[in-house]
Amino acid sequence: MPPLAAPTVDHDVDIAARIDPARPWQTVVWDDPVNLMSYVTHVFREYFGLPRAEAERLMLAVHNEGHAVVAQGAREQMEMHAQAMHDYGLWATVRQEPS
Amino acid sequence: MRDRIVAMEITRLEAAHLASLVGQFTELLRESAPEDGDPALARLVPAAYSDDAEAAREFRALTQSDLLDRRAADAAVVLASLQDAARIPEDPEDPALLEQVEIRLEYPSAQAWLRTLAAVRLVLATRLGVEAEDDHDVTDPRFGVYDWIGYRLDGLVTALDIDG
Repeated sequence: MPPLAAPTVDHDVDIAARIDPARPWQTVVWDDPVNLMSYVTHVFREYFGLPRAEAERLMLAVHNEGHAVVAQGAREQMEMHAQAMHDYGLWATVRQEPS
Repeated sequence: MRDRIVAMEITRLEAAHLASLVGQFTELLRESAPEDGDPALARLVPAAYSDDAEAAREFRALTQSDLLDRRAADAAVVLASLQDAARIPEDPEDPALLEQVEIRLEYPSAQAWLRTLAAVRLVLATRLGVEAEDDHDVTDPRFGVYDWIGYRLDGLVTALDIDG
């Protein structure tokens, strides 16, 4: 085998192992020291249409645990949510559910 | 809450300060790019993937410029609603400076205000080096502007979220 082929093969195997179609994607919001708790709660109510109590629970999870999963589903959808969170100045990332 | 109109009381002096600050924010958006290495601008367009640099790069390439355009559009909405209130006399002793003016915001404008005030706070926080909650020193006068914007943001959120 030509030596240059090896990394490509490894790469493909790596991707295949990482992108497991059975594991859903998630939008994660991370705690930051700047955004106000009232504001974060409002964003969750406004954007995800959550009742106040649920939005507050999620906000406190972000604040106390350092992050919280705010949505789960298809990758494109999770990227859309992350984009919306960035519009509001929240720090959001997309990931596949940790195995 | 979407048919709600928020009425905000503000002095002409405060409105003028706010317009100046949002104007500076607009200038920052227009004149720098996140690639220039300004951490304040970088905070406005965070990486969407923390463990996959390639996916983060792709996401950024697809979304970053639209996001910054929406930021500028939001800031323009804020400046437009401040325009009348922020008209101030040149004489610093003129009592009109402290005249209370009412700004009425329909729901979409109020959302633009929220996003803009939050973004301005993020920029200020980066400039002030706020990296943890304890970094907030209330006796440091530089935090005055940061706290003031926070106060306005919190007031707007309360007005929008109040039940009934």
